[in-house]
Amino acid sequence: MMARTHHPSNFFNTVLTASIEQVSPALRALSNGLKLALMTNAGRVGLSLIVVHLTLAFVGSWLAPYSATDFHLEHQLEAPSSQFWLGTDQFGRDILSRLMNGAGSIIAISLAGTLLGLALGTSVGLISAYVGGTLDDLIMRVMDGLMSFPTLLLALLVLTMAPPPEEWLPSWLAWNGLNVVLTIAIVFMPWVARVIRSATLPLKVAEFVQNARLRGEGTLYMIFVEILPNVFPVLVVEVSVRLSYAILLASSIGFLGLGIQPPSPDWGLMISEGRMFLVNAPWVALAPAVAISSLVVGVNLFSDGMRQAQKLPRTK
Amino acid sequence: MKKEPHSSTPLLELDRLAVTFYTPQGTVHAVRETSLKIQRGEVLGLVGESGCGKSTIAWAIMGYFQSLVRMEGTIRFKGKPFTKMLPSELRGLRGRRIAMVYQDVVSSLNPTMRVGPQLEEVLRENLNMGKQQARHRVIELFENVNLAEPERVGQRYPHELSGGMQQRVVIAMALACDPELLIMDEPTTGLDVTTEATILDLISELRQRVNAGIIWISHNLGIIARIADRIAVMYAGQIVEQAPVKALFRNPSHPYTVGLLNCVPGSTAITEARTKLATIPGTVYDSKQPTTDTCLFEPRCSIAQDSCKSGTPQFFDAGDHHQSRCSYWSDVRPDIWGKNEPVIEAPEQTKAKPLLTVTRLRHFYGREQHRIPFIGPVGLAPVRAVVDANFNVGPKQTVGIVGESGSGKSTVARNVVGLLSRSGGDIHLQGVLLEPRVEKRSRKHRAELGIIFQNPAAALNPKLHVRHAILRSLWKFPKLRGRVARERAAQLLESVGMDASYLGRLPSELSGGQQQRIALAAALAGDPQLIVADEPVSALDVSVQAQVLNLLREEQRNNDISYIFISHDLGVVRYMADEIIVLYAGHIAESGPANSILKPPSHPYTETLLSAIPVPDPEVTPSRIRLDGPVPSLRQIFKGCFFAGRCPRKIGPVCDGVMPPTVANPNSPSHIIYCHIPLEQLSEIQTTSTGL
Repeated sequence: MMARTHHPSNFFNTVLTASIEQVSPALRALSNGLKLALMTNAGRVGLSLIVVHLTLAFVGSWLAPYSATDFHLEHQLEAPSSQFWLGTDQFGRDILSRLMNGAGSIIAISLAGTLLGLALGTSVGLISAYVGGTLDDLIMRVMDGLMSFPTLLLALLVLTMAPPPEEWLPSWLAWNGLNVVLTIAIVFMPWVARVIRSATLPLKVAEFVQNARLRGEGTLYMIFVEILPNVFPVLVVEVSVRLSYAILLASSIGFLGLGIQPPSPDWGLMISEGRMFLVNAPWVALAPAVAISSLVVGVNLFSDGMRQAQKLPRTK
Repeated sequence: MKKEPHSSTPLLELDRLAVTFYTPQGTVHAVRETSLKIQRGEVLGLVGESGCGKSTIAWAIMGYFQSLVRMEGTIRFKGKPFTKMLPSELRGLRGRRIAMVYQDVVSSLNPTMRVGPQLEEVLRENLNMGKQQARHRVIELFENVNLAEPERVGQRYPHELSGGMQQRVVIAMALACDPELLIMDEPTTGLDVTTEATILDLISELRQRVNAGIIWISHNLGIIARIADRIAVMYAGQIVEQAPVKALFRNPSHPYTVGLLNCVPGSTAITEARTKLATIPGTVYDSKQPTTDTCLFEPRCSIAQDSCKSGTPQFFDAGDHHQSRCSYWSDVRPDIWGKNEPVIEAPEQTKAKPLLTVTRLRHFYGREQHRIPFIGPVGLAPVRAVVDANFNVGPKQTVGIVGESGSGKSTVARNVVGLLSRSGGDIHLQGVLLEPRVEKRSRKHRAELGIIFQNPAAALNPKLHVRHAILRSLWKFPKLRGRVARERAAQLLESVGMDASYLGRLPSELSGGQQQRIALAAALAGDPQLIVADEPVSALDVSVQAQVLNLLREEQRNNDISYIFISHDLGVVRYMADEIIVLYAGHIAESGPANSILKPPSHPYTETLLSAIPVPDPEVTPSRIRLDGPVPSLRQIFKGCFFAGRCPRKIGPVCDGVMPPTVANPNSPSHIIYCHIPLEQLSEIQTTSTGL
């Protein structure tokens, strides 16, 4: 009887302690990662590139000299000049302004997609490894199946099958980047799950987990309080590696016209539109291409710096 | 065996060597002005607790530094300073004329190469030997380090060899280029006592053949006593005492040396009553602290005077090449740390109802073989890790389980607490049958059985604060939370000699001894009846080991706990246990009251364990009963005696073919030996050969 009255509070207690206990190790892992990255040159260069892009993402739309969607029809496909620093596109829109406005969405999409994918993959990996047995076999075979699709093909499959956000979400939530976020998450989940599963397997037999078993801890507590903080270092590396793939994936989806819908500026879409003028007005496609690659290079350098300092093995 | 130091130039000389590391965490003064000399043919023992700079000296000689480091002072090899040598000359020196053997054998060998070719490679690289020549030399080297069947050993991969064999291969590799100086950095610390004893035998035999200088680094004076000619004791990066081995043990002249000597549980004679170990309080001088103008040992010293705080003591000559860095060296007595007080024996409790009863406990790893008609058995037979173990643990009693690695000690422990589910047999706690798996056991049963693991660093979650382990146990067992729990936690920490300020620390901020105290505090949180201690001190320095052992006994007295105390070191078990169980290959070889076990007649296996205990006294010639031959496969079902394959006292085919009878010792009826040899005869052989 005692057990029954205690049960709800016990569960609540577990969830509460779990979330409180997670905060400090997570912050520690994060600040540790930052600190380590700043110890190397790659990390410093990478971080400064990321900071530039983040600034663009947050305040770019205010700083932009023109509106991203305004047509300057008398200035179509103009080369960079003092008036339009990076030139204009076929409708005479200022490319710099479009770049600055588009930074927010690509960073938000790729970051949200990465984090969601990480959350899904981590949960799946932890549960699969800890519970083990048939469930483990089952989950991992499904993950293998997902992994056997080429990345972009799987992404297109998910995008075309998922209903548009307007159909299943209230209008204030129905951001048209949401499907891209979900797609990135689903594409990443199996890779993250695999890495986390292999990091969990040795922890499962560790003596502190045995101690927790002797205390009579439940599965949820074991996974999220005892084991999760110990895979944070792996997660931090995983975030930084996944993020650059997410940016590329998001831009590819944009390029194929399945991402943010026009007239909102999307870097991938801008390249796609600009490629028609590559000979006569190369800046239209080049400017967003440079923007994407500098962001990816920044993220990669940063994660490289972190790995160099941490000497952690490279994950795909 | 004592050799007078030569007047000629020493083989290696350290002249005021100081090594400082610059790490992101701060400056570490690992070695502070150390001067040392070693002659050819001499074995120099370098002793001290972890963090005293012993290994750093070895690395400085070998030039293995990765991080930012500053080295001051000079290292001279045969009179020539390292700084005056060309890089090529140094390269030729290190590895060829100066060789090193590491503690961690596994990482010294390439796991993807057979050991023979691995050694051949060394010979062909360094000595430009031909293929045939190298192969012959390898076999010779393997014979030198007493590896049986050297040709076949060479064909194996490192993981196919036992720990002792791996260490022999590494030693052979170090000897390959016929070095003039051999540095051995805790080469036996990771090994079983029995294996350690054979490696020590090997080195004392080799030193007569090889004529090299040997620097032997260890934290255990018991080991050094057996092997060294001269001993240098290190503390906080300084040498505090230096003397020929006999002089040092007969007349230690630095308080630190006396403390180290007291810590070894084997130092009392075997039959003597158990004693409380006198320990050195406190922890090693922090290597991040700069050298001050005081005696660095002063904060922990029992005979410190005010004058110790002013002025660094210089070396005082106590005669006969005996130097001590203590201003009061002449006042140092063996009892300055307090006498090793005899412990009041608990009254005989054989009549009391046992707390824990284990009957016919079996644990097999792996599935039973399938037998397919006309084809025969398929798959491997299961590993029979524990076979039909019977024993009782009385209230307030300590039962020691002793045996080599692979003998099934930990399997017994894990079956008792329920981390493994037994394959057969029953375990009763106070007459109630325990479920095999801990998940099925009631809260009361879980609370009453605690466990302490060997590696305290792994037993605490490295990412969670100390608070977590203790408060969580208090919540799970006595259902305490909030302020009451915090008060109880503080109380628990105090009882293990720490305070509430440690609750907010991470395990990595604590020393090994402190971590083990926390683990004990967490185990005590459930107010247990029985704690299973699985090698609780094997990973600790001797000085810390003594503190933890004393603490365990203190808690036993205060809280009426029983222990199952597991160790591979009979010296430690002897210090702790009322009853001893000797386990070999999953079978109980001998069991009974500790006093009776330690005296003849003993099972021949117990005898080898006894003779392997390191005795910190160079004047005692240890009896040499060693095991040879491989450990038997645990997949077989023994037809005869499980120990017959390696028994030094084997009497004939009866041992191989017939199960040994259960023989009770007439002088102590609960003392049971499983052996074919009549007890009177065993008794007779053992009294004459070991001189017990």
